[in-house]
Amino acid sequence: MILHTLRLRSFRAHAESEFDLAPSVNLLYGPNGAGKTNVLEAVHYLCLTKSFTASRDRYAVRTDAPYFEVEGRVGQVRKEPMTVKLAYVPGEGKSVFVNGAELDRLADLVGLLPVVVFSPEDHDLTAGGPSERRRFVNNILSQARSVYMETLMKYRRARRQRNEVLRSYKKRSAPPPDALLAPWTEKLVGLGSRIVHRRQQFLQAFADDLEEAYRRIDAVAERPTIEYDTIADLAPDATPDDIEDAFRAALDRKQGQERDRGTTLAGPQRDELIFRLDDLEVRRYGSQGQHRTFAMALKLAQYFYLQRRNDTEPLLLLDDAFGKLDAERTGVFLDLLRSDAVGQSLVTATRRGPFEPALDAEPASHRALQVQPGDGAAVVAPDPEYAGGDATASNGVASASGGPDATAPTSRS
Amino acid sequence: MQYTSESVEALVEQFTKLPTIGKKTARRLANYVLKMPQEEVETIASALRSVKEDVQRCSTCYVVADQDPCPICSSDKRDASTICVVEESSDLIAIEQTNEYRGVYHVLGGVISPLDGVGPDDLRVHELAARIDPSFEDTAADAAPAPETMPDGEADDDADPSENGQVQEGETAAPVDEVILAVNPNVEGDTTAYYITQLLEPFDVRVTRIARGLPIGGDLEYADEATLSRALEGRGHVD
Repeated sequence: MILHTLRLRSFRAHAESEFDLAPSVNLLYGPNGAGKTNVLEAVHYLCLTKSFTASRDRYAVRTDAPYFEVEGRVGQVRKEPMTVKLAYVPGEGKSVFVNGAELDRLADLVGLLPVVVFSPEDHDLTAGGPSERRRFVNNILSQARSVYMETLMKYRRARRQRNEVLRSYKKRSAPPPDALLAPWTEKLVGLGSRIVHRRQQFLQAFADDLEEAYRRIDAVAERPTIEYDTIADLAPDATPDDIEDAFRAALDRKQGQERDRGTTLAGPQRDELIFRLDDLEVRRYGSQGQHRTFAMALKLAQYFYLQRRNDTEPLLLLDDAFGKLDAERTGVFLDLLRSDAVGQSLVTATRRGPFEPALDAEPASHRALQVQPGDGAAVVAPDPEYAGGDATASNGVASASGGPDATAPTSRS
Repeated sequence: MQYTSESVEALVEQFTKLPTIGKKTARRLANYVLKMPQEEVETIASALRSVKEDVQRCSTCYVVADQDPCPICSSDKRDASTICVVEESSDLIAIEQTNEYRGVYHVLGGVISPLDGVGPDDLRVHELAARIDPSFEDTAADAAPAPETMPDGEADDDADPSENGQVQEGETAAPVDEVILAVNPNVEGDTTAYYITQLLEPFDVRVTRIARGLPIGGDLEYADEATLSRALEGRGHVD
């Protein structure tokens, strides 16, 4: 699956940007704040109907613009290319169009264009709170199976309803009557157990992907593992029925506490993943380097998993991912981007320099785009030296890039 | 600064109270009304008024109707031993249009949704139980003081045989064999269905739920995963 063209209208720093993309590495370079990450965000909107940053939709609308629009032309294997468009109007919400026809539900878009993002925030995956890790699993499973996301949304709804019953009776200082609470508990258990079951199955399959990914990034022979800490100790082959029983029992044990606190205290919303390198728990005892490598391996493993599961190559978005990497790991990653293991990627960087070897290798399939803060709006322009198929002089200039500001095209055409 | 007339603005504001109507659509509607002939506007206004003034609810099934009991409850062609439970009167109309269902109905008036402040007591679930067993008393364990329940005797009095065809709770009414839950297949609908199933458990009545799954004429290949898995869950015997 390849994104051929991308158009952004009134999206953050971009007033109207339209450009072609190459089938392999696409480097977006330019000074900080020029609007490079905005391009990756726009692509992410087309894939998952939202940004990969925690920012709200309305902040993505360019100042004083009434709406934003993102459109991409997507080439598929053995199928006609399709046009995917997402529009957002503050107050009215988002709508998605595939080949001009509006989708009934935004959720129907998810999984169509699988995507994996590498960003500086990946650090939180291994170092942050449990919710970061649940979000990671939810992201993968939602892209891999539409039914998972539906179950997840229903579960959240059931939990909010159940919490409301608990909360309102806590306020009245009375225990919630069983006739009112039990139906919500039942719904919660049914939906929640399906989520736990899916996560459990997923993590078993994902273990191999993680090992493979770790091996590619780091030569050190540490073995990465993930332990799934959920509602109760479950056998690896626990059936949905077993999980339901365990979930019900857990809620039963917490009954008194739930009454006192007025909220649901057991379920997959409290799941945790424990990352280990051999016996070392990464979150507590991992070195900076181990954190970085582990987070990177998780994302790469996500790529492998989605690729296998969806039978297509996901888009790879790398937001300043090389900023904190040492030269050795950068090299490994660049090799990976160029290899057949990865399909199309969009990479942001302040400098073109480190990527020139990658861009030079096969000019037809790689491209560099310069993102500049123009007169009030971002300007995206193909770098004439690395403009995909019609690249001109591609050799002999690699050493020309000096400091971080050596981005202006000045005398090079 | 006010550039338009205040009455137009007031109309726009009233229109936005309607579901699915945003500010833009409301403005378009208001402008349209402005251009309509006076008589047509009067017709709309009186239709709006009479919908509140003339329409009532059937005291048995609670459907919106012009008469009480409603035509369905008072028809002797309908099978009063089967009750189809729906959320709103509009759902009843949808089922009636199939021409497949010959039983009677019960309109709940919504679904259980604590977030919207709707509990079982705000719905007509106990009225449903009372239709199945007239001796049913509101024993919901709600901490709120239980409303006065109808004494048994009164229900018997109501079942006056002279009221021809009217299906009323009482010893003489046809016993209810089956309750079909036709609530929407979402979290709140599922939970309401569960609540009703539990409530009716003590009674000698079959509680069923309408099937969910593939639409007629839908190709398996094109069904989304969620629909397919639901259809698999609710699979049945080959007819």
